Amino acid sequence: MNTIQPSFRDRLAQGLTPYLLLFPAIAIVAGVLGYAVVRGILMSFYQIEVWEPGQPFVGLRNYRDLFGSDGFRNSLVISLIFVGATIVIGVLMSLVHALALNQIRFARSLFRAIALIPYLVSGVATAVMWRFLFTGDNAIVTQISGALGYSTVSWLADPTKALMVITMANVWFIAPFSTLILLAGLQTIDPELYAAADIDGASAPQKFVHITVPSIVPMLSLALMWLSFASFNMFDIILPLTGGGPGRSTEVLAVYMYQLAFRDLNYSTGAAVMIVILIINIALSAVFLRAAGRAQHDK
Amino acid sequence: MTSETGIASKGTRFAAWTALVLLTIWAVLPILWSLSASFKTPLTLYSEGFIPENPTLDNYGRVLSSEGFYQYLGNSLYLAITSTVLTLFVSVLAAYGFARYAFAWRHVLLLFILVPRILPRASLIIPLYDVIARLDLLDTYTVLIVTYTATAVPMATWILIGFFQAVPRELEEAAAIDGASIWQRIWGIVVPISLPGMVTAGILSLREAWNEFPFVLAFTTSGDMRTLPFQLFAMRDNMGLTDWPLINAFTITTIIPILFLYLLFERQIVSGLTSGAVK
Repeated sequence: MNTIQPSFRDRLAQGLTPYLLLFPAIAIVAGVLGYAVVRGILMSFYQIEVWEPGQPFVGLRNYRDLFGSDGFRNSLVISLIFVGATIVIGVLMSLVHALALNQIRFARSLFRAIALIPYLVSGVATAVMWRFLFTGDNAIVTQISGALGYSTVSWLADPTKALMVITMANVWFIAPFSTLILLAGLQTIDPELYAAADIDGASAPQKFVHITVPSIVPMLSLALMWLSFASFNMFDIILPLTGGGPGRSTEVLAVYMYQLAFRDLNYSTGAAVMIVILIINIALSAVFLRAAGRAQHDK
Repeated sequence: MTSETGIASKGTRFAAWTALVLLTIWAVLPILWSLSASFKTPLTLYSEGFIPENPTLDNYGRVLSSEGFYQYLGNSLYLAITSTVLTLFVSVLAAYGFARYAFAWRHVLLLFILVPRILPRASLIIPLYDVIARLDLLDTYTVLIVTYTATAVPMATWILIGFFQAVPRELEEAAAIDGASIWQRIWGIVVPISLPGMVTAGILSLREAWNEFPFVLAFTTSGDMRTLPFQLFAMRDNMGLTDWPLINAFTITTIIPILFLYLLFERQIVSGLTSGAVK
């Protein structure tokens, strides 16, 4: 960038400049997040007792304990159901939402602005609002289901219904961002493709299957990626909404890990859960990046 | 054929509006129901419908005069603002480095910005708690500011790289010939031109810190250190009768500031988010 003859010192400074610029960011990210990951891996191989000195190396024992425990298997299953249901419902709702937003002309930016509002609300506030909808004999949903002749027992007292409630609250909370991603995808589609299809006499479903869907495959996989990451790691909604209960019916992995470490003070096994969560995250992103790459390739 | 297309598109439009109205109601209903309850009294909470018959601001008065409220509000504001300023400062430098220079290890270092996106916040609390407790730093602002900044820097840097790359190099070259240092060029030329990017990155970082829950839950024990979300969590489940009008007023109070900022800069945030997510 320097147009005047650079001296050796200038060249050295030039060579160091990018590293100096990057240093604070890398230092804080590596120092906090990188350190946490490395420390978590190490912790999972030791027996850490809070009130006792000395931390014997125990190899894979924490993992063996973990895979042998009912609580862990329960949480794995709950997480799978929670993530699976969120992905299916979330992707359908956000796709419909994005298609509708893309279709209308009148007040589109207003509706788009409203669509993203749940993304701004904190997880705790989301949980509290949903709790208010469902808790107690007089909660609005309980009243409505009673008026329709269904059970008037609080939804959050029933294991299956409680899982449905956290799934719905989760969809409410995280689907708006996927709507935004899909809308961005829809807006890149060339309108002439539809015009050409109209001339060929294509029906609306045909246009959807042959033009819309193929055009947004990359965005669709991005939306799926967001939905699965956000729900697999969801903690902020579940702890305040159900605390993992009733019983352990809504204890997803992140909540299980938290309870293990901070309620049972079993940090080592908690760290092992953390590593399992990280491995599943890495595997998920590998799968999605691969799928997205292949989709890109096929086009 | 034209008439056929006309009918189809009319049907499509009807379907689009129906879906849109339903989904818009779905998005705002929990908030509106909470808002409605925040204007009722415990006695009229369930007997009145959606529109309160005698709306009262009493609950908001009780929120503002509740014990420790200004302490929690102050904590939330202080943490959100300091971590956002720090995040922007650190991210501007890093984004400029990535946007303007080709250097060895660039791709490896870029991974430090990309990989943290798949590290869930809640999963980090166990090892971080362990080291923070050993360093005797539980219940300190420092720990929260540093951890909030560390989790916000990757996204902010990623957003800013895109904006900085769009700033024409010629502007900087002209300034360099006039003797402007790199520091002056970054803060005097690149940052002001990228103001929309700064606003987007700033508001996202504010939102992240304002709404943060796992870190403040795990790394603080004293009541004085609570933020608004933590206090909301603590009050949601008092044994005995739950004061729902008060809790709903508290919920709405925590939502209003970030919602206000969002509505003010909605266009920039949406385009910033879209480009940040899509790239």
